[in-house]
Amino acid sequence: MSASLVKRLFASLLTALLASLLVFLLMRSVPGDVVSQMMGQAGGDTAENALRQFFGLDQPVYMQYFNWLLQVLQGDLGTSWTRGVPVTEMVGKAFLVTLEIGVITLLVATLVGVPLGIIAAINEGKPLDTLIQSFNILGLSAPVFWTGLMLLVGVSSVLSWSPPLRFVPPSQSLSTNLEILVLPILSLGLLQAAAYSQFVRQNVVSAMHQEYVRTAIAKGVPVRLVFFKHILRNVLIPIVTFMGLILIQILGGVVIIESLFALPGLGRLLLSAIETRDYPVVQGALLIVVATAMVVNLAVDLTYRMIDPRVRES
Amino acid sequence: MFLSHMFSRRGFLRSSLLGATMLGALASAAPALAQTNALYGPVAENPTMGGRLNMGLLVEPPGLDPFHQAADARIRVTVLMYQGLFYESPTGEAAPLLAESYTVSDDGLVYTIKLREGVVFHTGQPMTAKDVAYSYNYIRNAENGSPGAGDFSVVSDIVVKDDYTVEIKLSEPNASMPMTLGNKYGAIIPAGYFDDENAKNRMNSQSVGTGPFKLVEFAPNSHVILDKNADYWEKGMPYLDGIDFSILPNSASMLIALKNNRVDLVPLSRPQDVQQIEGVEGLTIERWPSLGQTAIDLGAETAPLDNVLVRQAISLATDKKEMMQASIGDFGTVLGTVPAGLQEKWGLPLDQVPMQGPDVEAAKAKLAEAGMADGFTLTLTTINGYDWMDPAAVTLREQLAKIDVTLDIQRVDLGVWIKNFRSKQMGLTFNDWATQPDPNLLFYRHFHMQPKGADFRNWNNAEASALLDDARASSNAEERAEIYTKFQKILAETVPTIMLFSPDHITVRRERVNNYSQHPTGWYYGLARTYLSE
Repeated sequence: MSASLVKRLFASLLTALLASLLVFLLMRSVPGDVVSQMMGQAGGDTAENALRQFFGLDQPVYMQYFNWLLQVLQGDLGTSWTRGVPVTEMVGKAFLVTLEIGVITLLVATLVGVPLGIIAAINEGKPLDTLIQSFNILGLSAPVFWTGLMLLVGVSSVLSWSPPLRFVPPSQSLSTNLEILVLPILSLGLLQAAAYSQFVRQNVVSAMHQEYVRTAIAKGVPVRLVFFKHILRNVLIPIVTFMGLILIQILGGVVIIESLFALPGLGRLLLSAIETRDYPVVQGALLIVVATAMVVNLAVDLTYRMIDPRVRES
Repeated sequence: MFLSHMFSRRGFLRSSLLGATMLGALASAAPALAQTNALYGPVAENPTMGGRLNMGLLVEPPGLDPFHQAADARIRVTVLMYQGLFYESPTGEAAPLLAESYTVSDDGLVYTIKLREGVVFHTGQPMTAKDVAYSYNYIRNAENGSPGAGDFSVVSDIVVKDDYTVEIKLSEPNASMPMTLGNKYGAIIPAGYFDDENAKNRMNSQSVGTGPFKLVEFAPNSHVILDKNADYWEKGMPYLDGIDFSILPNSASMLIALKNNRVDLVPLSRPQDVQQIEGVEGLTIERWPSLGQTAIDLGAETAPLDNVLVRQAISLATDKKEMMQASIGDFGTVLGTVPAGLQEKWGLPLDQVPMQGPDVEAAKAKLAEAGMADGFTLTLTTINGYDWMDPAAVTLREQLAKIDVTLDIQRVDLGVWIKNFRSKQMGLTFNDWATQPDPNLLFYRHFHMQPKGADFRNWNNAEASALLDDARASSNAEERAEIYTKFQKILAETVPTIMLFSPDHITVRRERVNNYSQHPTGWYYGLARTYLSE
């Protein structure tokens, strides 16, 4: 087991390295750099060259990459070119915001989506099933910016309330933090709960039609026992996979919700860094996204081992 | 420089839109605010002291370094923390700010500036002449990488005469020197500040200027917090204890925050946003004149735009008013050859501007004269994120279709656009830029031949360049105005650019916000004179 883990880790590192190289080259192939952004329509060649030298942009690209990599290996992601703040600090703060949104959304989606999916599956073909499936389809087809905006507009006109604008971490004030996050999490959670519920329903339904289930019931095993011991156990693996996918999806894709609700998360940080061509921040932030995706995947793998003895043995 | 807006008749027009129900009704704005050249805006008669103002920003400053960052979103905020020797008064005079008075030698080459005494930096150090010399020497040395370096190229030497007197020597006369010593680029900071290699970065966490507010915190994608400078040299100013800027890039969310008391004051740029909050109780919508302009630039580097007849035909076929209506409704002013904020004092009278459309027949005649009566295809470049450009582009396509010119519209990112612009490969493009209230700062760099100017549009017009030199050297205001009139005639006649319209600055404030006035540059000077009534 440990050998396969080492293999996995090694593959992950290689992927991270390749991803960082790709990001590095892609960013530099987009026209315009931080210096032309800073200069706008003003400035002159001497001033521009002086700034390019300051940022090390006058060096060949491979040298820039090599220097950056060397820095990263020493645990230093560099300094933001536009903010003058260490990238680790900027990305760290933004990551915590996004992680909080991601984890709570996942929790909400699981607590709502899984029971809904199971209830729908048990009532397959009945009105309750149709009702839950309607919710699923609605949730899946409504784009998240629309849901977010509708929630914001709706709550504002009914309660004359909108979330505070300046983000406060839970360590500072849990109540303000939740006040800020309740609408964004609801917008994301609704969508993910619908996806979750649909997914769980399908898996449970297909498990219920398996022959071993029919056999067990024919043999007189109590239905409740069949359900919890056989069916649920079998759908746990796809559910765990799905949780991992959702978390990764949220971490990489909440930029719209972050913009709508003024949340200083990773998505917005990345977007603004791309716009201002702040290479160290883009590279640092994406490295963190890639690393997180890998950790989540690894965690999902490890969970498989706990749930399914066959994975452990192989 | 980008994304600034404008309007004007006699000085400031200010129009309260509260209670108005139709866009059309909003256009007939009533002049109200007494014109004042007081620094930063009118002094309040009986202000309430204290309190913190929450201001919403749709565009985040990319950084807060006044020496190395040219973005307008930066200048808007840093004018509250940093000060130059002069203040750009809305009517076009450079009013002494950290300077107290100044004299100019007869040959126009030496400015002797007496400095204000008793000014203290945010760091606690007193400001003296050596700080002034250091700051301007830093910015004018292009090796230091400031976008403002070009504006200071005529400065040949800066001499400290005594603690509060400094001499600025020029290599040639420059009537807009005091305005150049204003607040767009650079500021007076403590001598030796940039010796520390970390100094540039530190400007995003700590201000070192002399302005009415100090930087407390700048959190990316979240907020900027300023506190009152308790040691500020203007006694009794500012009225506010502090300003909290909240950065919210989505205008729909911003309007909801405004309705629910989360912000007190918001500058808006889109008429459709204004429509959404018209008639909301407790909110006052105001329009302000602007020094910004939207324009069609015609780079003469390639055919057929190298042919002046073709450029004239495009100008004649363009209906500026229709383009403005399509993109911002009536929230602006149609232009001749200067932004609206400069029209009164420096502009060629609108009825004398040549090559103005729409005149389809005249435009067709020009194309026939150029041997291109059958028309041709042109690519128009627009920039992502500039809301006015999409409707304006479609409107222009319809207008040019009438003279058989087919327009391909190409949207590009700002980074791409700047690259094309700087490398003088702009072709036919929309532009959106602003200026300080001075014709030299508006025209010289953009339209003078190289190497003295940048001549981004490859206009290469020797006659116009000579006029720009003459006007800059003249210290007589009347003579300057006359020369600029001649220049503008050539500009309109040979069409390197077609200035379209100046969008107004629009601000929305809650009732508790008092005495805020919006400077025509779009910078937030007015916050230094704002007070809260609760």
